[in-house]
Amino acid sequence: MPDIEPFSPRGMFHEGWTAEVSDYAIACGWALKGKQFIVGDVAGGLFSFEGDTGKIIWKKENTHSGGLLAMAIHPEGEIFATSGQDGNVQICNCHEGKVIKTLDLGKSWVEHLKWSNDGLFLAIASAKKVYVFNEIGEEKWISEDHPSTVSAITWSNKNELATACYGRVTFFDIVNNKTNQKLEWQGSLVSMELSPDGDIVACGSQDNSVHFWRRSTGMDAEMTGYPGKPSHLSFDDSGKLLATSGSERITVWSFIGNGPEGTMPGELCHHTEPISSLAFSNKGMLVASGSRDGSVVASFLKNDGNGDPVGAAFAGDLVGAISWRPDDCALAAVNAKGVVNVWKFKVRTNLFSKGFK
Amino acid sequence: MSIKDKVPVTILTGFLGSGKTTLLNRILSEEHGKRIAVIENEYGEVGIDQGLVINADEEVFEMSNGCICCTVRGDLIRVLGNLMKRRDKFDYVLVETTGLADPGPVAQTFFMDEEISSEFTLDGIVTLVDAAHIDQQLGRSDESSEQVAFADVLVLNKTDLVSDDALDTLESRLRDMNRMTRIIRAENAKVPIETVLNLSAFDLDQILKRRPTFLEPEYPFEWTGVYDLDAGKYELMLEEGPDPEMSLVALANQGESEEELKDGAESSVRLYAEKANSLVPGNTIPYGEHINLKLEDKGNKSFILNIEEPTKIGLFTQHTAEEFKMKVIKSDVNKEIPFNTERFWQAEHEHDDEVGSIAIERFGDVDPEKLNTWMGRLLSEKGVDIFRTKGFISYSGNPRRIVFQGVHMLFTAQPDKEWGNEPRRNQLVFIGRNLNEKEMQEGFDKCLI
Repeated sequence: MPDIEPFSPRGMFHEGWTAEVSDYAIACGWALKGKQFIVGDVAGGLFSFEGDTGKIIWKKENTHSGGLLAMAIHPEGEIFATSGQDGNVQICNCHEGKVIKTLDLGKSWVEHLKWSNDGLFLAIASAKKVYVFNEIGEEKWISEDHPSTVSAITWSNKNELATACYGRVTFFDIVNNKTNQKLEWQGSLVSMELSPDGDIVACGSQDNSVHFWRRSTGMDAEMTGYPGKPSHLSFDDSGKLLATSGSERITVWSFIGNGPEGTMPGELCHHTEPISSLAFSNKGMLVASGSRDGSVVASFLKNDGNGDPVGAAFAGDLVGAISWRPDDCALAAVNAKGVVNVWKFKVRTNLFSKGFK
Repeated sequence: MSIKDKVPVTILTGFLGSGKTTLLNRILSEEHGKRIAVIENEYGEVGIDQGLVINADEEVFEMSNGCICCTVRGDLIRVLGNLMKRRDKFDYVLVETTGLADPGPVAQTFFMDEEISSEFTLDGIVTLVDAAHIDQQLGRSDESSEQVAFADVLVLNKTDLVSDDALDTLESRLRDMNRMTRIIRAENAKVPIETVLNLSAFDLDQILKRRPTFLEPEYPFEWTGVYDLDAGKYELMLEEGPDPEMSLVALANQGESEEELKDGAESSVRLYAEKANSLVPGNTIPYGEHINLKLEDKGNKSFILNIEEPTKIGLFTQHTAEEFKMKVIKSDVNKEIPFNTERFWQAEHEHDDEVGSIAIERFGDVDPEKLNTWMGRLLSEKGVDIFRTKGFISYSGNPRRIVFQGVHMLFTAQPDKEWGNEPRRNQLVFIGRNLNEKEMQEGFDKCLI
């Protein structure tokens, strides 16, 4: 249980709605352009709520025997995919939660799912292999075995998929089945994010560092000194700032000018325990962080990576995942006790809008 | 989170065929009220019949800095990271490694990864040994000797296939390699569950209770007798014994308490390290010197002890008094003076294996700064070869004893119970490969205040 005292939403956070799921909530996301909010718990329960009110729309339990590991909502928001310890991936319809297709990938855990930005492809990582399927569950590509279990996947452009594992990041052209680039580094890469233009690759490493590569120049750099492994990384939508965390502190690297090499990063210290989730807003320089202490903070950042909190709220327990609504006017947090919190996010005074009514 | 809230983890190692799966099934099928999650690396020939079994490939992750203590097991981090979220489903974790696994990275994972160490605690390392084959395996592979070196408990399995004599020899070989382990003999992996689970193996009190002598260093002498003597001339008389000569150190003002005996033993160890002066029968024995009594002659042989004023003399002898029927006789009255106190020591013997244990035990306080510097240097120079470290230290000015435990270069030190009236002392055990005992003891001695 967190050690901090409960508190009411502050600053730009306002009471919204709360709900509960059956177990430790590990994944969440907005569907149907923010009209629906879907939450997955560790035991394999899936719950869909009305985005504005929190009213339950549908729920399903035990979708993956052994438990759920990942969930990804399609960019169009009509379908979503889940995966679990049973080695299966399910593609489901958001409206009723009905399974459209089940993909059986064998015995190994399926830990990562990512839809491509245009929504044509679903990338799936299971043990040492990565698979690509299309929206209706037809297989399009399978990788060779990686040297170790794949720890992160992400799309760099519509046909190119990046994978991270122990010792390297690999870029695959999945349409032409070829390897475009290999970036090597002797370390266990535990997280990976790409800048929106796909040029900068950032990986958190088990040895408490963040490693970057610039694909265009081939330059790389290592940012050390993290107190814990940086499992959480997030780029802002312009690719100027990268927020990273391996402790209760958030370190923000700025890529403006010659940075971040040789520059001082921004530091945000708002939490008492390590960060458990981190996400930039869909637009702009707002970063939200959730912590093991149950607190959720939104910070407005400047170009140098420093910034100030603009709102805070208490989620009640370790924050399992957070998600900005597509219009950034609400933030959702789900916790280890299965509690769902959705707060409205807006400027506290709304005097100017009154005048026009 | 206190250690009590953390989920205990037992690591089960041992070569293929040593009976790990049999033991695992035994543990799982027995009624012990625990819900055990099993992480299995070996797709064993025998299936495991239980709910929460997770298969994972062994993935050893080394880091770019080349530091072996940063080497961790990626599969465990992944699987345990997920299990953390399902704590209502189990209260114990068993990790079964493959036969060829190096236990170092497995154990280090519980120190190195902050997320893992905040939720799980390493309870103990149990190594199964096939009594019929371990002798050959130890000669052939580093992994098997490392598995022995890391073990908190060694299950000497398949004892039905080996003679008792061979088992005794094997046990003493294993004991030489790892002096802090507990050895259990078993047929068909039949061992009481409480000997492998909930060991709190990192709890030193438990270890001392089980094996009170585990920290005893080995001495170059087997026996000490303390004699209360008035002024006068005495003879030390010996008969024929197993050797034509015997080393000895005589100390004046030798106390009789355990602490004083150990202090005397320490001084004697240092004196024993010097070259011995040979004495023939009839010579006078000097105090505080390493001497070698020549005993080739037949019959009784006497050496002289001169006492100027009443004192207690401590004789630290290479062999026991019994073996040479050694006596102290007051010359003028020709009367035997019996010893007041005797103490037997664990004698040094030859070590065949590269892997061995070193124990350091000293009374008094250490200077925390000096100790840190010394340990830091020792572990950075020898960390690769030091597999495990356990012990406790008395810091000057600190009312509590400081308990240490480490795996390779990783180290934790935490305050434990209060000293109270107990004499302040330090005990450290290092298990490793090709360790230089003398150098390490000297290094530690420099940290004493």
